[in-house]
Amino acid sequence: MPGISGRRRTKVKGVQFTIMVVGASGTGRTTFVNTLCESDVLQHKVIDEPENAHQETAIRIKPANVELEEDGIRIALTVVDTPGFGDNIDNEAGFQEIMTHLERQYDDILAEQSRIKRNPRFRDNRVHALLYFIPPTGHSLREMDIELMRRLSPRVNVIPVIGKADSLTPTELKMFKKRIMEDIEHYDIPIYNFPYDEEEDDEESIADNMELRAMLPFAVVGSEEEVEVDGELVRARVYPWGLVEVDNPNHSDFVRLRAAILGSHLNDLKTLTEDVLYETYRTEKLSRSVETSPGGNRDSVIHPDQLATQSVRIKEEQLRREEEKLREVELRVQREINEKRQELMAKEAALRNLETRINSQSQSQSNTSF
Amino acid sequence: MAALQTPSFDGIGIANLPNQRHKIVAKRGAHFTIMVVGESGLGKTTLINTLFSTELSPPKNYNKRHYKQLDKLTEVEIIKAELEERQFKVKLTVIDTPGFGDYVNNRDSWLPIVEFIDDQHEAYMRQEQQPQRHEKIDLRVHACLYFIRATGHTLKPLDIEIMKRLGTRVNLIPVIAKADTLTQNDLFTFKQRIREVIAAQGIRIYTPPLDADDENAEHARVLIDAMPFSIIGSTEDVKTPDGRTVKGREYIWGVAEVENENHCDFKKLRSLLIRTHMLDLISTSEELHYENYRQTQMETRKFGEPKVKKLDNPKFKEEEEQLRKKFTEQVKSEEARFRQWEQHLIAERDRLNKDLELAHGAIKQLEAELENLQVGYGRGSGRR
Repeated sequence: MPGISGRRRTKVKGVQFTIMVVGASGTGRTTFVNTLCESDVLQHKVIDEPENAHQETAIRIKPANVELEEDGIRIALTVVDTPGFGDNIDNEAGFQEIMTHLERQYDDILAEQSRIKRNPRFRDNRVHALLYFIPPTGHSLREMDIELMRRLSPRVNVIPVIGKADSLTPTELKMFKKRIMEDIEHYDIPIYNFPYDEEEDDEESIADNMELRAMLPFAVVGSEEEVEVDGELVRARVYPWGLVEVDNPNHSDFVRLRAAILGSHLNDLKTLTEDVLYETYRTEKLSRSVETSPGGNRDSVIHPDQLATQSVRIKEEQLRREEEKLREVELRVQREINEKRQELMAKEAALRNLETRINSQSQSQSNTSF
Repeated sequence: MAALQTPSFDGIGIANLPNQRHKIVAKRGAHFTIMVVGESGLGKTTLINTLFSTELSPPKNYNKRHYKQLDKLTEVEIIKAELEERQFKVKLTVIDTPGFGDYVNNRDSWLPIVEFIDDQHEAYMRQEQQPQRHEKIDLRVHACLYFIRATGHTLKPLDIEIMKRLGTRVNLIPVIAKADTLTQNDLFTFKQRIREVIAAQGIRIYTPPLDADDENAEHARVLIDAMPFSIIGSTEDVKTPDGRTVKGREYIWGVAEVENENHCDFKKLRSLLIRTHMLDLISTSEELHYENYRQTQMETRKFGEPKVKKLDNPKFKEEEEQLRKKFTEQVKSEEARFRQWEQHLIAERDRLNKDLELAHGAIKQLEAELENLQVGYGRGSGRR
């Protein structure tokens, strides 16, 4: 288990943490990540030629690594970007891609843990938090937003974020947040809502969690440009009517969000992923593979070395299917044999019946004739 | 209303015709139909209310949203109003399209909108062909505002698909919605990219005519250079830091003003739609787009024949298919049941028949034996 070796790694490389950012183009994902990491971790969208603008692009999963320091602790952060999600006319395929990616990381760890000889340099790529960027419509959640959060919450901690929040006035933002949370509750979407235990946790952390929960979804403004304000260089966006400061808590929730996911709640997010989400997936997956191999076919569970490679998994599937087919054929043949046997017996019985009747009649005849 | 000019002494007075025309038009009033298309939350309703300075469309009611959020339909809503300014009346119709582009799968979501536009041309055409055609109800769309989300990147495939289809049917005016989300530089680049894509993809947008006299041509050029217009909409009066009261959006960091040309192109849009080019929009709709439609329809249909309607809306097609499948399955299972029953009955009948035959055969045998015995008895008694 990556427990003891993890402690050793903390001293050298820092805490490992993976976040994924999902959202349609233009919701501020790339800028947010670059603002978060204070460097150009992700590249902005490369605009195609105008002639190709009508073509739909497939979603891509692009991880990027960066080293950060937060509150004195070094973090080896992996940011997984998902450009192309939500940009097409039909976005159904995008959901499946992301889900497959999340589950593949779980599958890898599952296989690794079941190995007899484990790889000491195995990288744990499980995603600890997914930031979903809601476009600042000002109304409420769209079908797209609801579907995404609902489908991915069982596999990852989903934290909803309002991107480009500087397009909403303070009143609009408050009402928007309220309606989003109403929708999340109405559709029963299990997002990461900074859980706390009223009896176990201390007052300070309860207050902290309640405050963060009240801020959901986080309204962020990102910027990669610096402007001089009062002699200082601050990250801001310049408009003809004013200046929006990224690090000003009155202007955006960016600072609070960063402190939460990279600081106070980093461990909580990791623990939830490892202890709850991963374990749920593991249980589901193992009980599924037990169900599909009834009787004496425990081999498929006992040799997970083979499970780790795709091709062997496919071969197993094929074998299983062949077996099923053979079993069906067997059953069918058995049934036919039984039927024929029954018919035969019925005919036999009828014949015998007739025989006895003739005998009895001829006997009675011979009896009466004398 | 201009005063009637007295005819000059060196003419017969035909130069007075425009004034007479003016009186007639001023008395008749005008009617103007404008359509707004775009994803929800782009400020369509607010813009309409800002443009005409009155609350034409009520603010959105969120209480019933849970019934419709997952509906997957694009709707068409019609709002009518009558505006009056200096005794000139305009019958205004605004057509809103809620639900467009909001779903996971937006394929064919433009169909209801495109069909609506075609239907209006169709309805007008049919009315013209009637014997009595004084009272025509004319809902032909004179201008269509397409709202582009201010992503800062470029047009999305969905935008391109619908704009292509709208551009050939109606005067299409693309606008960048909620433009107070973009900085000056971003806005400039964004507009440039959109113009390039529009040109490369062959999308037809409305451009004010340039062949007017000098000062109007200059104005037209200014408008064309600024397209697509960046828009900020607001019906609220707010106070700016320097004390003025304007229509705008009040942020913590400043006030974005609607009518400030440094902040957005709202004034230019209003000029295009109302002040300077409303008549051009109306006449090009009627002369250009309607004539195009009429021409293509006339080439394939005879005078007075009704339009061949495709009754399939793809979203409903799925449901129809499902219902049909369920129906056939039910019918099949019932048929199978009946067949089994039939076979069962046949088997029973055969069995009983066989029994009957056996019994019959047995009786025959017995009869034969009886005869034999009788004969034997007759012979036998002689022998004994």
